[in-house]
Amino acid sequence: MFPTANLPVAHPSRRDIFNWGINGLGATALLSMLNHDASATEVQRGLPQFPAKAKRAIHICLIGGMSHIDSFDYKPALEKFHGKSLQTDEQPDIFFGKVGLLKKQEWRFAPRGDSGLMISDMFPHIAELADDLTILRSMESESANHTPALFLANSGFEANGFPSMGSWVSYGLGSETDSLPAYVVLNDDRGAPNTGTSTWSSAFLPSSSQGVVFEAGDQPVRDLFPAQPVPIAADQATREFVNAVNRRQLSKTNADVTLSARLRSYELAAKMQLSVPEVADVSGETRETTEAYGVNNKQTADMGRRCLLGRRLLERGVRFVQLFSGGPIAGSPRASWDAHESVLDNHTIEAGRIDQPVAALLRDLKQRGMLQDTLVLFTTEFGRTPFAQSAADKVGPGRDHNRYGFSGWMAGAGLKSGFAFGETDEIGWKNVKRPIPWHDFHATVLHLMGIDHKQLTYYHNGIQRRLTNVHGDIVKEILA
Amino acid sequence: MPHRRYRNSNLVFHILVISAALGQGSIVRAAQSADFDQIVAPILAAHCLECHSGAEPRGGLDLSHVDRAMKGGNSGEVIVRHNSSVSLMWERIDSDEMPPEHPLDSAEKAAIKDWIENGAEWGTSLIDPFAVTTPKRAGYDWWSLQPLKETQPPETDSGGWVRNEIDSFVLRRLREAKLQPSDQSSPRALVRRLYFDLIGLPPAPETVADFAANPSETAYQKLVDDLLTSQHYGERWGRHWLDVVRFGESGGFERNRPRMNAWPYRDWVINAFNSDMPYDEFVRNQLIGDQLKPGFEGAAATGFWVAGVHNTVVGGSERMKLLARQDELEEVIAVVGQTFLGLTVNCARCHDHKFDPIKQKEFYQLTSAISGLGFGERTAQTTEEAAELNQIKERLSTVMHQLAAIENRARKEIIDKRATDFDKKPTAPTALARWDFDADFKDSIGTLHGSAHGNVHIKNGALVLDGSSFVSTPALPKDITTKTLEVWVQLDNLMQQGGGAISIETKKGRVFDSIVFGETHPGHWIPGSDGFVRTDSFRGPVEAEAVRRPVHMAFVYAADGTITGYRDGIQYGSSVRKKPIQKYSANKSKIIFGLRHTTSSNGFLSGRIHRAALYDRALSAEEITAAASSPTEYVTEQQITEWISEAQRDTHRELREQAQTLTKHRNRLQQLANRKLYTLIPQQGAKTHVLLRGDPYNIGEAVEPAAVDAVRGIDADFHLAVDAPEDTRRRKLARWITDPSNPLFSRIIVNRIWHYHFGTGLVDTPNDFGFNGGRPSHPELLEWLAVHFRDSGFRLKDFHQLLVTSSTYRQAAFDNESRSLDGAAVDAGNRLLWRMTPRRLEAECVRDAMLKVAGKLNTQSGGPGFVDVSIVANNGTTYYTPIFVDSADSFRRTVYRFNPRGGRSPLLQTFDCPDSASTAPRRPVTTTPLQALSLMNNSFVLQMSAFFAERVRNEVGDAVSDQVSRAWQLAVARPPTADERQLSLTLVDNHGLQALCRGLFNTSDFVLIE
Repeated sequence: MFPTANLPVAHPSRRDIFNWGINGLGATALLSMLNHDASATEVQRGLPQFPAKAKRAIHICLIGGMSHIDSFDYKPALEKFHGKSLQTDEQPDIFFGKVGLLKKQEWRFAPRGDSGLMISDMFPHIAELADDLTILRSMESESANHTPALFLANSGFEANGFPSMGSWVSYGLGSETDSLPAYVVLNDDRGAPNTGTSTWSSAFLPSSSQGVVFEAGDQPVRDLFPAQPVPIAADQATREFVNAVNRRQLSKTNADVTLSARLRSYELAAKMQLSVPEVADVSGETRETTEAYGVNNKQTADMGRRCLLGRRLLERGVRFVQLFSGGPIAGSPRASWDAHESVLDNHTIEAGRIDQPVAALLRDLKQRGMLQDTLVLFTTEFGRTPFAQSAADKVGPGRDHNRYGFSGWMAGAGLKSGFAFGETDEIGWKNVKRPIPWHDFHATVLHLMGIDHKQLTYYHNGIQRRLTNVHGDIVKEILA
Repeated sequence: MPHRRYRNSNLVFHILVISAALGQGSIVRAAQSADFDQIVAPILAAHCLECHSGAEPRGGLDLSHVDRAMKGGNSGEVIVRHNSSVSLMWERIDSDEMPPEHPLDSAEKAAIKDWIENGAEWGTSLIDPFAVTTPKRAGYDWWSLQPLKETQPPETDSGGWVRNEIDSFVLRRLREAKLQPSDQSSPRALVRRLYFDLIGLPPAPETVADFAANPSETAYQKLVDDLLTSQHYGERWGRHWLDVVRFGESGGFERNRPRMNAWPYRDWVINAFNSDMPYDEFVRNQLIGDQLKPGFEGAAATGFWVAGVHNTVVGGSERMKLLARQDELEEVIAVVGQTFLGLTVNCARCHDHKFDPIKQKEFYQLTSAISGLGFGERTAQTTEEAAELNQIKERLSTVMHQLAAIENRARKEIIDKRATDFDKKPTAPTALARWDFDADFKDSIGTLHGSAHGNVHIKNGALVLDGSSFVSTPALPKDITTKTLEVWVQLDNLMQQGGGAISIETKKGRVFDSIVFGETHPGHWIPGSDGFVRTDSFRGPVEAEAVRRPVHMAFVYAADGTITGYRDGIQYGSSVRKKPIQKYSANKSKIIFGLRHTTSSNGFLSGRIHRAALYDRALSAEEITAAASSPTEYVTEQQITEWISEAQRDTHRELREQAQTLTKHRNRLQQLANRKLYTLIPQQGAKTHVLLRGDPYNIGEAVEPAAVDAVRGIDADFHLAVDAPEDTRRRKLARWITDPSNPLFSRIIVNRIWHYHFGTGLVDTPNDFGFNGGRPSHPELLEWLAVHFRDSGFRLKDFHQLLVTSSTYRQAAFDNESRSLDGAAVDAGNRLLWRMTPRRLEAECVRDAMLKVAGKLNTQSGGPGFVDVSIVANNGTTYYTPIFVDSADSFRRTVYRFNPRGGRSPLLQTFDCPDSASTAPRRPVTTTPLQALSLMNNSFVLQMSAFFAERVRNEVGDAVSDQVSRAWQLAVARPPTADERQLSLTLVDNHGLQALCRGLFNTSDFVLIE
């Protein structure tokens, strides 16, 4: 008469595995439990699903839209067309809708390194590392509006309520360390992006895959230590009391899984109390290192500190670190890459804040042999228009949002380096070769981390959700 | 039948009318071929049509219709009658190339081959891919779509275990699996379970003891009845409902503006549960309450429609606007479909549903029904309230006239007298700067001359502020630590919230101290500060006069951080101190008037400032009094009372009292009349089209408002035109959803209730009864419950009663070891219910239980939520950061917490409280180190530990042994074991009672319901 659930089951089904957060410690704990308990076939379903090139990733996420035609996508034709009008009947899908005359790049481009990749003087330090970069010149977005575009870049969807890339990766792979969160977020000191915690949300995934914000100061993670003064001895004794009582309660319940997970969580919490301050304290780094990151220079201090911290976190087994460049979107002067008023002024400031630190991070990872199994991602919400944002007969100083084609880059594990891929048209407006929508970008990142993006799913309200929605083609051309 | 042929990548379709004679949905018999319909068509439907049918069939090949199938696809003809070996279709099937990944089995292959060899006779011309359920998708015969069926509980000899029908069904399944039910829970476990399940709070130890002493059936029934009539029941179950409808109190997206007036929906839900509103009525009111009960109640109920996120920044381009609207409609119809019916209709936005028999067209029909969806605020009052208000206003006016007659005479006499004995006037203290606002914004002492921002002007010797403007001074010449802010201020209205009269702030306004009106405490003056770090309520009286006359406000900031407020020269409430005093450096700080701080977008004051001053020291009470009386024209109440004759004094006092009472009454009524609700603001219904691939520029046929045909036993046609009025559309939708014949309506809610009582639903996906959802563990029981619930009038309280009085519900969570091992071996997930699944408390219950145990729970119900986040508007977005608040208001239940998106405290977040960004029909239950850290270290936990310890000391005195017993009883409703007692005694002896209290909050017994 009715279909009945396949019961009873003694072993976890595939859905149980991926929904393990309902009852357990998340993916890592699950895998270790499965090793004790489950049949071989189920263990094979674990992650990573095939040998991973990258074990960890650091994502530098630019808020507001970096101009590709002024940085990583050289368009000599723009010099020729400077001051001419855009010949089209189309009403471009931009934000303010003011289409001025075409406007040439504001920075000089030059071939860099052995690879000869064209990179502009906007990023002199990063340009020195051209041979380590994999530049994507045909990124594209569905939205030319900040918030949907930022959500899309992070979660594959344009709205609140979907897990971010860092959450998916953490959910799938867990952490390499049990004493730090799997996914750490470091915000710009000018503020968090507009979407706030929704940007690094685990949404419907278990909260263990939520991005954890590290703040400056002596309590980098909220509630790491008592919020009001508690004597150290009393704190210690209370924790011992809790553990002792919980151990007794566990034994009364025939080792119930929830209770054993609780006991374990307190052990891990104690470890975290040691690890977090240790990792956040950069005072042990050499003067040479801090100088390289620009920690002591006012302009680069914020990003320098965060890049250095990012490396330290990765070193200690954090799976995914996300750094934001840019704070809230509106306001004056802008605190993000949203160069509506003046590309030259705005990007000079923004690039000046991050160029040296990001280059230092790359060098440092390389020097420590970490770049071979670390993925560095450098992305922005969308690019900027080749035409000025001004009256139709003017070449104004600003540029509007361009979702049709823009640039980002990756570096590190499993990638062809000193390599640029994809192409926009001769003025840098629209993609003409192998567009890379965010779903393809995400599929590629997951692939590099050993995950088939179609397999990393989580049931939520009627559908096995995934980072790539129902899309996603790996950009095979950039794989080494 | 209109045919669409996919032409090119620009998504342009040509509509080719092949035969006008074939109407939509009609079926043509092509040939007598029972074989085809019986054997071949199901294979095609199950394995081929997912790709090879519809508007854009893969490879151009459509196998759903005879003409198109025979014509072939992009690779040409695929079926050659009587000759399988040259038929491309057979070649691909035979080589396992098709269907990809899941090749046909040999019997299916043989059937296809035979069919081609025998001439490929077609049966029913159009194969409906939804006709039957296949291994890959649900068809019209899907179990949950069928009408409800009567089922009979099995008769079993249970040896007395069976208490009601639920038990019969459960026992039969257990026996089939060769399992035994567990023993009944201990009285303690049972009472605790019942309390948390029904009201979300722990029982008092005495309640547990009473029941343990007499665990009779009657006593159990009594407990259940008491809990179901408690106001806390609605708070508990209302919270569950709010999870499902993802109720949040901010807009989400970029701006994420707070919705300070969304709470009436929350209250309405709680009240509906408490009043046992029948479920169909409950749902109807949420859908069309504005039509059923115009006024406040209906408007509150329809808050349902706007409980979710709403994007208010949609950009300049037309495409972005259209897409944003479509996204919004999809999000809302998704919640409607899943909440009431477990249908994931939203999956049919871009194409027919991949797994359930829901057509893309039906998605747009439903969208049409809600196309008048609008978000916004409105005011609402009842007619009784309006009449009462008028009456009160008249009485008040009479009293005020009488009072004025007495007071005006006295005032004049006092002022006259002042002029004559000028010397006796107390000397006001000397300020650092003083602004008289007589003719300009100048500082009459120093050089802190103000300049205007926005539309400000001087009128009748006062600075007029219109609620969007302010005045600021240049940088302060010297460092300011101790200080006094003083202002004579009059307000345009008393409803305003958060406006600053005078503030001292750092250059960009990131750090500030301010005289603020009504921000966290409507109607009160509070010391505003950045992130509320120094802010606390003085708990002074509600301001009632500042609209009629200027009041003198002075805040004194003493060296130790104490802030004292004065109103009209008299201390206002009590002093507060949260943090050390804030220093303001010379050249880096300034004064502003009319705005809380420069970076604030909601901190503007509407009113006038008659005079203001800044002192670089903390004035004494006497100095304040002197300052308050310095303008010669102003006379305080106290001075009047002292002036008038003995004879007049009684009349005067009486009139004053009357005026006060009436004003209070009027204000309350006015507040009701002006209360705003964030709710549905219906717009005109839109003519709705199918959007091909969900693309707003790819417009298909126009659709009428209607529902999903696959739901059997009920008509999905609303019989409305494409341009039917909005209210009719929504009404028909509500009727279809709540129709007693709609089988999903009852199945979904009984399963939801079951889920919250047992930890897992009979179907483990409460929002999805489709193909991707779970299958029922006890199908006949689910059916029986749904029929029973419907036939007994959709009564929720009766239904709880039925569930919690079953033997199934009363089983122990941890039974003897051998039975547990059996159960765990056969059914680890306990879907067969061989025991009660132990559950961890939800975030809200953890917090509420701590409040209750600490003796601090404030049981005030309803009204605006308490705010435990700072709300900072910064450059177009709103940030919500958890702050530590220490007030009775914040000791209310967590359901009354102002709940903005992105504003959860770590305590709530790590205990899996959803962020209300999307519907949460079941919460994940995680156990993480961050959760452990929060439960140990969060400021709220430490605060409650201190109160808990204080309570225990008050109740049992200083004997440690008694303290230990009492603390354990209060926290976990049992005495400690000998072992636990020893551990506790050691802890208290060495580190005090508070350490034990904090520890107890962290025990598994505290956070676990057995």
